[in-house]
Amino acid sequence: MAVTTQQGKAPPSQAELLYQAQLRKERLFRAQVGASWGVLFLILIFLFSGQEIKLGSFQYQTIQLDSEFILKNLSFIAKGLGQTLLISVLSIFVAMTLALLAALGRLSTFPPIYAISTFYVSLIRGTPLYLQIFFFFLALPQLGINLSGVVAGVTALGLNYGAYMSETFRAGLSSVGKGQREAAMALGMTPGQTMKRVILPQALRFAIPPMGNDFISMTKDSALVSATGFVHELMWRAVKVGRAQFNNLEALIMAAMFYWVLTLILTYFQSKLEARLAKGDR
Amino acid sequence: MSLPIVKISNLDKYFGRLHVLKNVSLEVPERQVVCLIGRSGSGKSTLLRCVNFLEDPSHGSIEVDGVHVPADAKGKERRQLIHDVRLKTGMVFQEFNLFPHMSVLENVIEGPVTVKGMDRSRAIELAEQSLESVGMLFKKNEYPMRLSGGQKQRIAIARALTMEPRVMLFDEPTSALDPELIGEVLNVMKKVASEGMTMIVVTHEMGFAREVADRVLVMSEGELIEDAAPQELFSQPKDPRTLALIDRYRTDENK
Repeated sequence: MAVTTQQGKAPPSQAELLYQAQLRKERLFRAQVGASWGVLFLILIFLFSGQEIKLGSFQYQTIQLDSEFILKNLSFIAKGLGQTLLISVLSIFVAMTLALLAALGRLSTFPPIYAISTFYVSLIRGTPLYLQIFFFFLALPQLGINLSGVVAGVTALGLNYGAYMSETFRAGLSSVGKGQREAAMALGMTPGQTMKRVILPQALRFAIPPMGNDFISMTKDSALVSATGFVHELMWRAVKVGRAQFNNLEALIMAAMFYWVLTLILTYFQSKLEARLAKGDR
Repeated sequence: MSLPIVKISNLDKYFGRLHVLKNVSLEVPERQVVCLIGRSGSGKSTLLRCVNFLEDPSHGSIEVDGVHVPADAKGKERRQLIHDVRLKTGMVFQEFNLFPHMSVLENVIEGPVTVKGMDRSRAIELAEQSLESVGMLFKKNEYPMRLSGGQKQRIAIARALTMEPRVMLFDEPTSALDPELIGEVLNVMKKVASEGMTMIVVTHEMGFAREVADRVLVMSEGELIEDAAPQELFSQPKDPRTLALIDRYRTDENK
């Protein structure tokens, strides 16, 4: 059988032809999925277009949205994007720090450190996020601690996601084989050097994709912070204008679209990042 | 003869309730190549791993090139002694254990730079010499996952040698390799031996033991049962268990 070379003047081999056919099949599948998404999206728009459908005696009126309200309040709701993103980004940094500390604590042979780590994860995972947000905003003032809405929200989201993400880090740390640690120790590395130079870099590579997912869910859970009433992010703004003018339908749909687009963008970057890490030297 | 580089005294090791090393004593003089053979589970790997404290001995003491780690050393003092021992020993593992997130060159300079605090450019110089000597310099910018098992193991040997150890410990260095790749690794090991390195090699490669070793030790159920020059050991073993072991290897080789 012909061996294909880099110059590739020879006719394509059978393997090459099969590979090309497989590529075409994959491309076709992606194109069809894309087209179907487009159709579903058009149907969704149509359902909210206010059009009348007449099929003989059958008549159906699709949902009419108040376009005047939408145009008037679009920029008001859009202004919440900044706050939503700010809370999400701040919280993810808090969460990542706590998660890493909790995961490392879980490896400790010093009982109090191990206990603090497991206690934290258990307490936070055992109570609702919604309650935690209210706790930091409404309960702490009773003890003389007054946190602003943003600070209370970031604290609660950070603590909450930190507890969940510590499991992600833990999985990453335990994915690094025992032989890696032994090789580092045999070279004479201290436990700290072993962790920093050998274990963590490999564990992080493993943990980054799921952390991207956590960040995406966090941007949506940041809507809960609106409950404090003092953080003017997307959700708060949508509820405010929707209630005031009894246009909740339009207002919530607008907020939903903002969240969705935000999620799509973040998911795009997430998959890019994932592909890049997968291509690496693992 | 010169002073022993490795001196193991009355070593015991338990895994839980299992007694895997039973009062083992051993001296390895400088420049000697020692092969440790025995059935799997006989304790030979554990003994080797006790030398650089990847396994903590339950009783007994270890001395490597004058660094004596007494059985009763505790805490910080003990950690420091173990660190000193590890600087004097180089280890090669069955599974290579190269760092997958580092290039070949980075793998080899990691020890000198991180552990010895060596200047990076000086470390690169040394690393390139080591890689050259194992015939792997041409892959210095490659990542381990793109290399064959034999190439990985040669790099692992270079990584250990770059630390300029006084003794090299090999833990079944060819057992994870495809048969056609074993030769290249054994050749590198022969070269290291011929340059006068003290070596302790846990192996199933009887050909290597016969050809390269100055001395062959046989372990059985946690005890050293025989200690002789290879010619002697393979032609007239004293212990019936050694004979059984050698016979088994012979039938394996003739398969």
